[in-house]
Amino acid sequence: MLENFCYKHKGAFLQTLHPVAALTYLAALLLRPLIFNHPLYLVGILLASLLAAVVSDALGEWFSYFTVGLWMAALVLFLNPLLCQSGETVLLSLPSLPLIGRRFFTLEALCYGAAMGIRLLGVITAFALYNTLVHPDKVTGLLSRFAWKSALVVSMSTRMIPALARDLAAAREVQQMRGVDFSSGNLRQRLQKYGWLLELLLVSSLEGSLQTAEAMQARAFGCGPRSHYRHELVRPRDYLCFLSGLFALLLSVYARVRGYSAFSFYPKLAQPAAGNIVLFWFLMLMFCLLFPSILAWGWQRWPFLRSRI
Amino acid sequence: MGVATLAFFEIQDLTYYYPTRDKPSLDQINLQISEGEFLLVTGCSGSGKSTLARLIAGLIPEFYGGRLQGKVLLRGVKLQGRQRSALHTEVGIVFQDPERQLVMTSVEAEIAFGLENLGLPRPEMFRRVAEVMTFLNLLPLRDQFTAALSGGEKQKLVLGSVIAMHPRILVLDEPTSQLDPVAATDIFNLVESLNREMGYTVILIEQRLERCFHLADRLVVMEEGKIICDQAPGEAARWQVKEGLPFIPPVARFFAALSPGSDSPIPLTVREGRRELQNRLPSFPPRVNKRDCRKKSSAQEQQKPLLLQARGLWYAYPNGPEAVRGLSLQIREGELVAVIGPNASGKSTLLKLLAGIIKPDRGTVQLQGINTRNLPPSEMGRNIGYLSQNPNDYLTRDTVEDELKFTLENFNLPDNGIGIKILQRLGLDHLRQANPRDLSSGERQRVALASILVTEPPLLLLDEPTRGIDCRLKIGLGSLLQEIASSGRTVVVVTHDLEFAVEYAARVVMLCDGKVACDGPRQILGDSIFYAPQMARLFRGQAEGILTVDEALAIMQGGGAGACQDA
Repeated sequence: MLENFCYKHKGAFLQTLHPVAALTYLAALLLRPLIFNHPLYLVGILLASLLAAVVSDALGEWFSYFTVGLWMAALVLFLNPLLCQSGETVLLSLPSLPLIGRRFFTLEALCYGAAMGIRLLGVITAFALYNTLVHPDKVTGLLSRFAWKSALVVSMSTRMIPALARDLAAAREVQQMRGVDFSSGNLRQRLQKYGWLLELLLVSSLEGSLQTAEAMQARAFGCGPRSHYRHELVRPRDYLCFLSGLFALLLSVYARVRGYSAFSFYPKLAQPAAGNIVLFWFLMLMFCLLFPSILAWGWQRWPFLRSRI
Repeated sequence: MGVATLAFFEIQDLTYYYPTRDKPSLDQINLQISEGEFLLVTGCSGSGKSTLARLIAGLIPEFYGGRLQGKVLLRGVKLQGRQRSALHTEVGIVFQDPERQLVMTSVEAEIAFGLENLGLPRPEMFRRVAEVMTFLNLLPLRDQFTAALSGGEKQKLVLGSVIAMHPRILVLDEPTSQLDPVAATDIFNLVESLNREMGYTVILIEQRLERCFHLADRLVVMEEGKIICDQAPGEAARWQVKEGLPFIPPVARFFAALSPGSDSPIPLTVREGRRELQNRLPSFPPRVNKRDCRKKSSAQEQQKPLLLQARGLWYAYPNGPEAVRGLSLQIREGELVAVIGPNASGKSTLLKLLAGIIKPDRGTVQLQGINTRNLPPSEMGRNIGYLSQNPNDYLTRDTVEDELKFTLENFNLPDNGIGIKILQRLGLDHLRQANPRDLSSGERQRVALASILVTEPPLLLLDEPTRGIDCRLKIGLGSLLQEIASSGRTVVVVTHDLEFAVEYAARVVMLCDGKVACDGPRQILGDSIFYAPQMARLFRGQAEGILTVDEALAIMQGGGAGACQDA
């Protein structure tokens, strides 16, 4: 399960993109759920993200994030009508409760909660795509020109997290065989047992970091001005995906400013049927977001296209 | 008249103290290293080998601090102050644990890391990275995550990232201690090629000498911070046999012990040894009947009661390949079984399945006739002592003594003096009040072992217990395990150390690809192509069933019974 949250290189089209192109595309995917609240746009973004995962053979990883997000979205869906009392269409009237008083479930608050849930899913799946499509070294390589120390810390942390998870599991197994029962005892005793594990992990990590520091010093780290090795190849696909991502970003901002993506939930839901102008902008934006996935699909099937981009 | 050659690297009257230590870790060291030389450094744990390596690499005292007296000279010029830390352009060092040396997440970035630190221009970096990846055959792995590589690949990558920096001296501090024999041979082949073909000066610190002894121009033996021997390998072998020191591989030890007074060169490789044996053929004894040996030990084993039975075990890690595939195994009381095989053959997984740490996907494990699925973890822990590969996972207390008490308390067992007995037996008595985290890796390994031996479990499952410990400690550990087995308890050892396996185990199980490739008395290793110990390869086709130096000496001195050891 944990492996699904880490980058795995599968040689997919979107994984081969230049980091600037990939980050522009992902920024467009991330920005839209943040600035739009029209349900049509929100569902569209989720679909675009799903398609990108499908063409990148990363559906399993995408669903791992989606499942986590779904629980959070369900919570938002439930909490919003409970906490927000706006809206005119009352679906359910709850009896008076201590402290919070009488509560109404309104259709508008429920729909707003659903839209917020989808918005949250959009954000989470955008990060899922970032994690599955962008090699961390590419990003750190990009950052290292401006802030190489921070880039190195990011790179080392990326390496450390799966290693820590492995070490924790191994230490737990060992202590269990030594008679430490992590499932018995009251909360305080259990916390104490896990405290031992964390202490052990901390000390081992500190020892390990000293060894790593020694190896780094032996490899001339900090001996003078550094140069930068990373040089990503730029292919036609990178221009195409960068431009489609950039257009998606600009069109999103324009649509938001002009109000084409607005949708009012309160006090009464706006008419679900979207006007022609809304639909036009929606299709434009969807095309920009789907374009890299369409290219990826073609790249897999047509050798000619593969050779050209 | 000879012309005195200038040493490339020289250490003169050097003494070094780590911070907060009163005893010197290097004591009056004098060492000269010529360009292109291959120096093999060996000795007990804590004898100062790694400290010497760090000194040569310029990490002492710059990284560690401490006090240093004496001189370090490079090409006859004394290095002072920060000059020593600038040695990284001249000296590259590879440490034991590849995992802790990797910094970047991808193979290519890792090789380039040192070059970036040197501030090299990009075209130069591209050229060096491309050359190293080609030479070390790392090109197929260039985009891989370093975390996904095997131990051997990781160590090869570390070696590559060091040689990309073009050092003149390559220091290798037990680079194969965590690798299986095949991966270790791969690394040694590379090191040999770097020395012979590329002209690198190599300083190799190693405990497992059978694969590298013959490569060395000089053997340096260290003891308590001093160099006690600095000679050509053949002479050093003869001297060690006389002094009773164990730092000699089996072939050299055998011939040195066979003719202690002779001045003739000692064979260092199996090939040289086989030639030497041919010369002695007229006085050679008849073959030992290996079939009889096997029948005898097999019949003895059948009489012992069954302790552990695994039937049709299958196990696959989540999102991973099948690690164990339809494996069946029976372990009897009083057996000492060695489980061998290449990396990723399922050895550690099998041990975890037997210990009940992970449950098989299909199949059953029965401990004394009871399915381990039905036994609670506390009961499994009480009956099985499990030693993992990383001793640090055991060290949670502030003193060594408390580590042992902790295990006893967890199982509600009284401390009737067993802890002290075990500490004495493992040579840790003087460290009772020491913090386990302050100890060396060999000592930590013994503390971890003591913490599981203290409950006197009927079954011991040990994963690589010889990793990082020296020859003397290995002999002590082997004898202890044999004692435990002869007292009726059972020991299963997963090991890459074939010489240890044949020396102490009565039975060998070889795993390959998650299945049992062969299972039988230790003599089966004599038939193996790659897993045969040195003595078996030496005597192949001449006499069967000889696996250790003692057996070979017994047979050469007119015996023969020694070749068929009783289990």
